[in-house]
Amino acid sequence: MDLVFALAINGLIWGLIIALIALGLSIIFGLLDIINLAHGDFFMVGTVLAWFIVQSTDNFWLAFILVPIIGLLLGAVIQKLVIVPIKGAAALSIVATFGLSIILQETVRATFGPAPKRLLPPVEGTIPLFGIDYELYRLVAAVISIICLAAFFLFLHKAKLGTWMRAVRHDPETALALGIPVQRIYTITFAIGFGMAALGGVVAAPITTVDFRAGVDILPFCFIAVIIGGLGNLQGTAAAAVLLAFMEGVITAFADPVVARIASLLFMSAVLLVRPQGIFAGATS
Amino acid sequence: MTGHKKKPTPQTPEATGTTRRSFLQTALAGGAFGTAYLSIGSNMFANASGPITIGHQAELTGGFSSWGYWHNKCATKAAEIINAGGGIAGRELRLATEDSESNPATGARKLRSLIQRNGANFVTGSVHSGVMLASIPVATELKTVYFSCGEATEATGSKASRYAFRTGNDTYTLSGAGAPWAYENLGKNWTMIFPDYAWGHSHHKEHKRVIEELGGKVNDPIAVPLDSRDLVPYLAKIPEETEVLFSVFFGALSVAFYTQAKNMGLGDKMKMYSVAGTIEAIAPADIDGAAEGVYFLENFPRPLAAKNDEFHKEFIKAMEIDDVNGREKGSDRVIAKSHAWQSWENLFLLKAAIEASGWKGKKDDKGVIEYLEGAKMDNSLAHPQGEKILRGKDHSGILDNYISQVRNGAFETIKRIPKEEIDAKLPPRFDFTKEAL
Repeated sequence: MDLVFALAINGLIWGLIIALIALGLSIIFGLLDIINLAHGDFFMVGTVLAWFIVQSTDNFWLAFILVPIIGLLLGAVIQKLVIVPIKGAAALSIVATFGLSIILQETVRATFGPAPKRLLPPVEGTIPLFGIDYELYRLVAAVISIICLAAFFLFLHKAKLGTWMRAVRHDPETALALGIPVQRIYTITFAIGFGMAALGGVVAAPITTVDFRAGVDILPFCFIAVIIGGLGNLQGTAAAAVLLAFMEGVITAFADPVVARIASLLFMSAVLLVRPQGIFAGATS
Repeated sequence: MTGHKKKPTPQTPEATGTTRRSFLQTALAGGAFGTAYLSIGSNMFANASGPITIGHQAELTGGFSSWGYWHNKCATKAAEIINAGGGIAGRELRLATEDSESNPATGARKLRSLIQRNGANFVTGSVHSGVMLASIPVATELKTVYFSCGEATEATGSKASRYAFRTGNDTYTLSGAGAPWAYENLGKNWTMIFPDYAWGHSHHKEHKRVIEELGGKVNDPIAVPLDSRDLVPYLAKIPEETEVLFSVFFGALSVAFYTQAKNMGLGDKMKMYSVAGTIEAIAPADIDGAAEGVYFLENFPRPLAAKNDEFHKEFIKAMEIDDVNGREKGSDRVIAKSHAWQSWENLFLLKAAIEASGWKGKKDDKGVIEYLEGAKMDNSLAHPQGEKILRGKDHSGILDNYISQVRNGAFETIKRIPKEEIDAKLPPRFDFTKEAL
């Protein structure tokens, strides 16, 4: 029974980190109708930038502040260069972001190198958790993720920019008529999506590894969370990421972890069949 | 016709600066250079009847690219040395390289391209077990000698053919070489954790057999999907009574494993034993102590001191690496030393086979294959890993192995396991010499 609790808590914590990344994917789809296959690589760029900053300054918290800012800037540039030319063509967005994914991976491979690296956690040590020695940093990462998620939803609902983003998503033509700078909102939204994935990268890097293919592995889980939560449904996406990781954790205690992933895929298939709009449809963003 | 001076266009001599005289001068100079080049070439490759093309199927991109870089460097340097020494049987060695992208389907397609489009006469192949297992049927279909560099035992076993060879270790030889030592010195109760694909399962199967034959207990295996980033669900399932945690991973999964196992304190509770593949192209110092204390089975030790001879020194010089950690000068790359040497040595072995058998073209392949079956390789610049044999029956390399441990962020060699001991323990399980060509 101890193992069930330990793995359930671990799933919950991992889900919170994934929620940060998946939210970026969801806002980009929700506002821009972009199926962003490069989103995992935005996460990977975040891990690599964090590694460089920590190597140079020996300060993880500086990376925690700087990486999302760099992510925002990179996101704004990429939106102008890659997304604007294909605006309104969802099918083209798949091709364009797939190409972007390859460019980002190969650029990192050519500069950072193909060998994986380790980023030391800023908080070391373990605590006993239901029979296993659990890494303390994971609990810190969970707290950071909760704070970041709360800050994001607060921004979305209380800040003027957040309100504009929701308005543009709801009805871009009316928003434009009311004087909201729609094009700028598109750019800001994409930049925030990149920034959140990069932030997820900084938080996850000490747990996983830093390497040019890190995003390839993380992307499918994010897509599953977005689909189950409802495409473009931000609260739904965050809830689905946490729910899925928690569910996988519990199943893993009884069965092979591969079975747990199969269960997630079956769950996604069932949602697509029964509630293609997502299980949290009706919740507003 | 209008009487106006014609404006130069790109096609006119005025525009290009080419006149009849300058054209003739250029043509004559070019002809002279060409003649000189050909005469130099004909001296260099005196018996030339065209180059001999050896294909190289390497992981230049994708998940294995940190290894592929070194396979490519080894093959390129070896080809340069061979050509500088007069080529193969007086013919130039042309190395044709294709990127498998670390993907079995792509790798098999690129192998076909190497043989059919680039005209590769022989191929030194992939280090990725999935790629090499997908490639062997293609090489067999196209009747082309193919060297695997990866470790899945099936490549010189159940999935092999008379065209498939391997100069390095497979999981059969790795288990026979290292597991008895680890059983005696590290513990009798084993748990195995490995990636959920051919290489990992092959290791589990072979090591389980050895440990159980020795009387040890092997707990339920833990297979980790290749796309896993969070390994806690897998590490939490390791039984407490485990004395030896045997792990095989590669690349990012290796670093994730060592990092997370270290963070959970597993290294303090049990002995950790692995094979070199798990830490290929990774310097222990670069992962901040995560692999400290782990025992590894290597076949080409990283420190020069572990095999201190002139050929090892020359290899280190050619690879432009330091003689302790195997790190490339001017970069932070670390050599995938226990595998990449095969891409070097296979070219020299093919040179020896071609020259000894009098190979002239495809019809003479039988002679090359018969030479390779039972070939002996001396410790030399051609074979800097050391003296070895390529067993006739199972086409497998039998070579010295070394037990090392990571101490203070670097490899320290503890024991050499001589090839004779390995050969005696591991009789061939297949006989490909009976297959018709």
